[in-house]
Amino acid sequence: MRAKQRFSTAFNIAIALALAACSHGNSDSGRSSASDFKVALLTPGPVSDQSWNAGAYQGLLRIRDSLGAKISNIETKTPADFEESFRQYGAQHYSLVIGHGFEFQDAAKRVAPDYPKTVFVTTSGNTEGPNLAGLQFDFANPSFLAGMLAGGVTHSGVVGVIGGTELPPVRESFAAFARGAQFVNPKVRVLSSYIGNWDDVSAGREQALAQIAQNADVIFQNADAAGLGVIQAARQSKNVLVFGSNSNQNDVAPDVVIASVVINLPHAFLLVANEVKDSTFRGRVISLGMRDDVVQLVLNPKLASRIPAPLVTRIDSVRTAMLHGSFPGADSAASPAR
Amino acid sequence: MSALESVLAAMIRTATPLLLAGLGELVTERAGVINIGLEGAVICGALAATVAAPPLGVAGGYLSALVAGAAVGVLMATFVVVLRADQIISGTAVALLGLGLTGALYHDIYGAGGVALTVPTSRSFDIPVLSGVPVLGPALFQQPLMSYMAFLLAPALAWFLYRTHAGLSLRAVGEAPHAARAAGVAVDRFRVGAIIFGSALGGAAGGVLVLAQSGTFAEGMSAGRGFIAIAIVALGRWTPTGVLVASLVFGFATAMQYVVQALGWPLRYELVLTLPYVLTLVALVLAPRGAAPAYLARTD
Repeated sequence: MRAKQRFSTAFNIAIALALAACSHGNSDSGRSSASDFKVALLTPGPVSDQSWNAGAYQGLLRIRDSLGAKISNIETKTPADFEESFRQYGAQHYSLVIGHGFEFQDAAKRVAPDYPKTVFVTTSGNTEGPNLAGLQFDFANPSFLAGMLAGGVTHSGVVGVIGGTELPPVRESFAAFARGAQFVNPKVRVLSSYIGNWDDVSAGREQALAQIAQNADVIFQNADAAGLGVIQAARQSKNVLVFGSNSNQNDVAPDVVIASVVINLPHAFLLVANEVKDSTFRGRVISLGMRDDVVQLVLNPKLASRIPAPLVTRIDSVRTAMLHGSFPGADSAASPAR
Repeated sequence: MSALESVLAAMIRTATPLLLAGLGELVTERAGVINIGLEGAVICGALAATVAAPPLGVAGGYLSALVAGAAVGVLMATFVVVLRADQIISGTAVALLGLGLTGALYHDIYGAGGVALTVPTSRSFDIPVLSGVPVLGPALFQQPLMSYMAFLLAPALAWFLYRTHAGLSLRAVGEAPHAARAAGVAVDRFRVGAIIFGSALGGAAGGVLVLAQSGTFAEGMSAGRGFIAIAIVALGRWTPTGVLVASLVFGFATAMQYVVQALGWPLRYELVLTLPYVLTLVALVLAPRGAAPAYLARTD
């Protein structure tokens, strides 16, 4: 009996540890510690992914540093967790809670009416309410520009796209990339693979190696942490270039990342947080894109010599046309990035 | 590179971590313990390799992956052998603990930024003559050293299990522990040893993911390989040869999945991703019959 009791105590401690470790959220009070402006971020993956979630975490830090907010972040994987985390933060009177991704919308919509004093924002969302906003990013136009770049620098005439899972915004971005590649190089072939998750770095590498074996020499990846495997495959192969996505990944592997399609999440988050702090917020769908300097194709200066000057000129002229709203080639409707 | 070559090479790369973890789990299960916590050993091995390889090199990375896996084994053994706790529940807790703890430690060590692609990786080791064979050579004989060791471990374990006295005792512990105890076998000691050995190999599998493949750590990068290894042991009917074949079957199906997507066949990618699991189920039905150790997962 004593052994059993001892075990159950030890077991309970282990379970508690496991649970605590699984939901390793982080609270960090801002510089003005007396602040009652509290902001929380829910991410669908680890903030160390150097991509989608890392950008959001940078945004949260920007809100802390610029507005003196008290911040908190948590990684949540399942819809049940989304709703529970939203409720926790609502009950703790957070001013602003950001669910980072398309998949957070349903939970935000359900929870928002119960906590009218908290503003809920979902990135890539298109739902709105009195205290609920969607924050959309036009990923299609810069993806089209990335496609033009890929179509112009490929030697084999084969380019690839690799995603985590086929979320609608990812699919739209890849379609724009393919149109961009075919815009400069009508004969280009575009290979498309999905890893099936956003964490499996080894599988990301294998998907890339399989495309490279089919002669792909430029790959656009949007797979968060698993995308690091795609970049690794390019580093280990000869003459293969990759695109970074979501965050500026040009420095992750400066010898193979030719450019990144970057969402300036700190800028976007600060914009919303300012409204909430000044009490000027009203629920709506906020669309941000190249014109707002929020989504951009950022070239890697270390590989600039690999891009022919006429191609740069051509990309710039299309970019200018896009900014003036006179370019019909990319899907001109703002499409969310996730 | 031909499509066949790339499939074969991807098969070996995909099979290597599964084979290592599977052979470890085989030894654990032959001693009558099912180690669901293997997934925790894999991810802990991956983190340990990430931390140790930059200062100590690839070999040091593998060594610390083994040690980290063994440490997870000590925890598991404490629960199921010393405290006689339910193996399934303890194993689940250990797996969750490993996944959560590595995420928290990774943040503490490297901050929110992580260590994207900064871990040294092993070069491929070309076996003279054999690596020159067309098609098979580049795929099978230009692999990292750890792959060859994993494949040589299978016959070594077969020899241990079926040709040595200790191997006989280990199998007796899994089949009839009371009889083994009466015959003078230190049952608990064998079980503790088998759990630690199996978990250490699970840690090595995590080391392969980082040091031979990714060159980076990501939270949850084990992606269920510890659980797949447990299934591979059942598919391989609890024999080293069976585990070797089952790893290759799963590795081949996974490699096919990569190539089918890259070839652009008009199939839904979700269906293509299920290919390894469908093939594994088919193989499970077709595989020769064989029984699990009689005392597997029992605490009495």
